[in-house]
Amino acid sequence: MRADEDELRGLMISGLDGNAGDHAALLRLLVPILRGYYRRRASGGDDDIEDLVQETLIAVHTRRVTYDRNRAFTGWLFAIARYKMIDNFRRTRRLQPIDGLEDELVADGFEDASSARIDVDDLLGTLPHKQARMIRATRIEGLSIAEAAAADGLGESDVKISVHRGLKALMTRIEGGGR
Amino acid sequence: MNTDDLIVQLTRDVPPVRRHMLGWRIAAGILLGLLVSGACVVLALGIRPDIAIAMYGFPFWMKWGYTASLAMAALIMTVQLARPDSGRLRWLWLMAIPVLLLAGLGIAELVRTPPGEWLAMWLGQSWKVCPWLVLALAAPIFVGLLWSFRRLAPTRLRAAGAAAGLAAGAFAATVYCIHCPEVSAIFVLTWYSLGILLAAAAGALLGPRLLRW
Repeated sequence: MRADEDELRGLMISGLDGNAGDHAALLRLLVPILRGYYRRRASGGDDDIEDLVQETLIAVHTRRVTYDRNRAFTGWLFAIARYKMIDNFRRTRRLQPIDGLEDELVADGFEDASSARIDVDDLLGTLPHKQARMIRATRIEGLSIAEAAAADGLGESDVKISVHRGLKALMTRIEGGGR
Repeated sequence: MNTDDLIVQLTRDVPPVRRHMLGWRIAAGILLGLLVSGACVVLALGIRPDIAIAMYGFPFWMKWGYTASLAMAALIMTVQLARPDSGRLRWLWLMAIPVLLLAGLGIAELVRTPPGEWLAMWLGQSWKVCPWLVLALAAPIFVGLLWSFRRLAPTRLRAAGAAAGLAAGAFAATVYCIHCPEVSAIFVLTWYSLGILLAAAAGALLGPRLLRW
């Protein structure tokens, strides 16, 4: 069973107050959450996933000063998890350099990628704020429904409905051709 | 290592974290840097000889007000960007207030001065060195901030580097005020701001490299 935002946040704050037991309980609860997070996103074997999980646990522990007690715990956690994943991508990519090729690839794809992003931003901009945010979180940033709900303090069904309605509105807009 | 063992090891020592620890850590880094920069100004550049008189004048406080308020705004941004979930920079517009106020003072000053003296007023005695001295004095403060960041978790490294550089530059300019005898608002607006911006640019350049964790 998965722990929810309130439970995790309570443990985190208790840990910040110096309660080592609760802090340990928090880190243990984070293990399956982080494993799930990285399995869904990062390629690589179980060892690589476990390395990422451990790095994130170390960061959660050593950098807990940066948690703001008034904000969502899961938002903070996944921001760290995501940073660790991107940092890991960068590092592993750097281990197999092909001279010059990388720059070419990046420059080639850049225009397509950025104009696609502008299109997406334009389209999402036409939606109500919440729908756009939820589509962004679940479909672009790759959070699961549960993670998006926790990060935003909404119910899961609320997130699902927002995404569904938003996508439907986008669909009719695109099929209709004009705006 | 086994993940369970790692957790046991990590949680052997769980010191309590006070509420505003993050801000204090950043303040401590800046303070360490300020001590070094302040010593450089006092020992190498020298305090302006007329400081006791200057402190009764408006230009001195105008300069300090400008650099100190920029420093505060940059500090707020640095604190925000030190968190992984930094979100939108809501207080960025605060930076515009001191700049606009000083620009207003500059215009008033130009109106009162005959156009023939504008250039001399703008360049002052020290326009060639002022930005570079501000940049140099920012370096120790930036190093202090790098120390602060060792326990912090910025995820937008370039922005965090720029904010740290901006804060370092603005605090450096604040210290530099005790040396610099210039009095004109347009001088400060141009050359002080240039020095501060150089520091911010250096921070943006170095951030992705030095702030990784």
